Amino acid sequence: MSEIHLDRDVLSTLKEVMEEGYPELLDTFLNDSEARLRVLHEARDAEKLSATAHSFKGSSSNMGALRLAELCGELEQRAKQPSLGGIEKLVNEIESEFAHVRTLCREEREGFHC
Amino acid sequence: MSVITEVSDDGKKLTISIKGRFDFGTHQEFRESYEKLDTTPDAYIVDLKETAYLDSSALGMLLLLRDHAGGDRSDVRVVNGNSDVKKILAISNFDKLFDIS
Amino acid sequence: MQSSSEPLTVLIAEDSAADRLLLSTIVRRQGHHVLTAADGAEAVEVYLQQRPHLVLMDAMMPVMDGFEAAQKIKQLAGDQLVPIIFLTSLTESEALARCLEAGGDDFLAKPYNQVILAAKIKAMDRLRRLQATVVEQRDQIARHHDYLLNEQRVAKAVFDKIAHSGCLSAPNIRYMQSPYALFNGDLLLAAFNPAGDMHVLLGDFTGHGLPAAVGAMPLAEVFYGMTAKGYGLAQILREMNAKLKRILPVDMFCCATLLCLSFQRCTVEVWNGGMPDGYLHDSLSGVRTPLPARHLPLGVLTPQLFDDRTEVHPMLLGDRVFLLSDGVIDTTDDSEQLFGVERLQQVFAANREPDLLFEDIQQALRDFRGEARDDFSMVEVRLVAPTQLNPPPPVYSDSGQSSPLDWSVSFEFRAQTLKRFNPMPYLLQLLLEVHGLRAQSGALYSVMSELYSNALDHGVLGLDSSLKRDASGFSRYYRERNLRLDELSDGYVRVHLHVTPNNEGGRLLIEVEDSGEGFDVARVLAQPQDSDRLSGRGVSLVRQLSQQASWSDDGRSVRVEFFWEALA
Repeated sequence: MSEIHLDRDVLSTLKEVMEEGYPELLDTFLNDSEARLRVLHEARDAEKLSATAHSFKGSSSNMGALRLAELCGELEQRAKQPSLGGIEKLVNEIESEFAHVRTLCREEREGFHC
Repeated sequence: MSVITEVSDDGKKLTISIKGRFDFGTHQEFRESYEKLDTTPDAYIVDLKETAYLDSSALGMLLLLRDHAGGDRSDVRVVNGNSDVKKILAISNFDKLFDIS
Repeated sequence: MQSSSEPLTVLIAEDSAADRLLLSTIVRRQGHHVLTAADGAEAVEVYLQQRPHLVLMDAMMPVMDGFEAAQKIKQLAGDQLVPIIFLTSLTESEALARCLEAGGDDFLAKPYNQVILAAKIKAMDRLRRLQATVVEQRDQIARHHDYLLNEQRVAKAVFDKIAHSGCLSAPNIRYMQSPYALFNGDLLLAAFNPAGDMHVLLGDFTGHGLPAAVGAMPLAEVFYGMTAKGYGLAQILREMNAKLKRILPVDMFCCATLLCLSFQRCTVEVWNGGMPDGYLHDSLSGVRTPLPARHLPLGVLTPQLFDDRTEVHPMLLGDRVFLLSDGVIDTTDDSEQLFGVERLQQVFAANREPDLLFEDIQQALRDFRGEARDDFSMVEVRLVAPTQLNPPPPVYSDSGQSSPLDWSVSFEFRAQTLKRFNPMPYLLQLLLEVHGLRAQSGALYSVMSELYSNALDHGVLGLDSSLKRDASGFSRYYRERNLRLDELSDGYVRVHLHVTPNNEGGRLLIEVEDSGEGFDVARVLAQPQDSDRLSGRGVSLVRQLSQQASWSDDGRSVRVEFFWEALA
């Protein structure tokens, strides 16, 4: 499991691509992710769980949040199993990892000057 | 290339060999073989040993060669045709215009 | 057509807002114009409205997933290629399989790599432009094809006007031709001459399409024009050859078989230049004698070298002449084997019902090739009694008001002229200036031709008509005739024409003299008319057709009269 919460190299590439749109990207990612987390907590439907985890995995990897992406990947696979036992524990892990990532993103946002 | 040319050492005789089908697709190569020469041969030989098939456009090409070579004064021989090729030449009576052997 | 450096319009269908934002920015930075959609249904809608050049499609989306949207968009695109690159974080091989199944052209894994994305967009765009070129060229070709078909339609319409004066619908002719034979270079013409003889031409021009058709028109005009005036095959052939030699390029020519069937003399005169063997079918014995090509095709030799010599064969009522183009012999099967002359001979041998020969041949071709083909021509002409035919009356171009009624003219045709020149058409044209004679033009022509031919063959050349007893005698006769004609240095045939008024109508007196030995007129006239005998018909024919025929000067001179009444 990766220990990288937010890959600096990825961030610098994103900064270079987005230029003044960089803060907007960070905000959008944070908003999207919060919405997804809510779904993960509330969903009872295995397919919906898997699809949301998949989607979360994708956007996390784009942002360089590698550990978060891996955890989502795990959830995606687990949700395809017949029994959903122990899922809640994984979701909480994801939530806490995300909290970490969110802090780092906010720091990025503060430190960003056009 | 389905048309192969060979000029004799003294430049007086041009041999044109046709491989495969002697038909409309051969037209350009055939004309170039005698039109783009440095010398002017006195005699022409069209070798059909490896010619599988001959159609009316081939007959037309032979007429063009004959015309280029001087028409009624020309010396054009058509040689080594297989029996099918010879039959086509016979029906069109081309032995009256060309020395066929 | 777009060049590779022009900006594209790219549709990005991605449900994750952050990913959508990131990708849009990347693609915009690469110089393209970006459209976005957040689900599959929206993607299809945007495609429909804006028709982007390329689509980046997230595989998993709500409402309608990427794969379904991709299929719908491909359908909407039709002929054109709209490349679809799937965006996916599925594992590689799994992704590729599903993408291809859905009709996707490529995929891009997350996290997005700008460099890879740029390369993929460029490659996909190259394919897109290639497809667009192919479609445009296909449409161009289809348009040109339509123009070509139309040009051919017009050419055929013009040709049909020229060919309408023919007699292919006569009851003794059967023929088979593809409707577009003209554009395969195949030509079939038939017409009556003033004596009621039938001229038939089966021709095959080199080449295809309009070049082949273009030569047919002048040829047909010569054929019809000269036949109507009463010219013989030799003169018509010389004129056709000279014309084609003059107007066609060196490598184009026309293979042709020409026939002149005389129902009165029961003969067929043949000239074959480069066509497959024709066949003369003896209806009693069933034997089919080949009529092979003895000449070069038309349009090859200069007039000086052209050989107009024909062969003449006797025929009986019911006998047939069969001609075919090389489309039959050249038919191939799957293994490139030719149908060939041997198989044709087998069809002949097996044929029980001569009237069904065409059907037998077609069946044999179908069996051989496995399918029907129609790009060949066949014609069969039967010798029938002249009464069974109805040649149309000739059409005259003058108003009929003035007509020469009282005149005489004399001609003397000497050796050099006799060798190469048939004066009949000119004499006939002259006589047809007299309107009263027009109704009898057929008889007039037949009688004059017969008188002239008797004077030349039996008088000047001294040929013995009893040679024409049988088929081989016939060949000997005509060979001997050619020989003697070539060697001729003295001799003459004189023709005198006198037109005088007579009561309300008029009288034509024809006198023909020759420089020959003469013959025992009384003895020949005393012989019974034997319609099976091949020779001796000339004298009876003349008597049959005219009012008064009489011989003098020991058979060296003959006079014939024609009368006509006042025209209404």
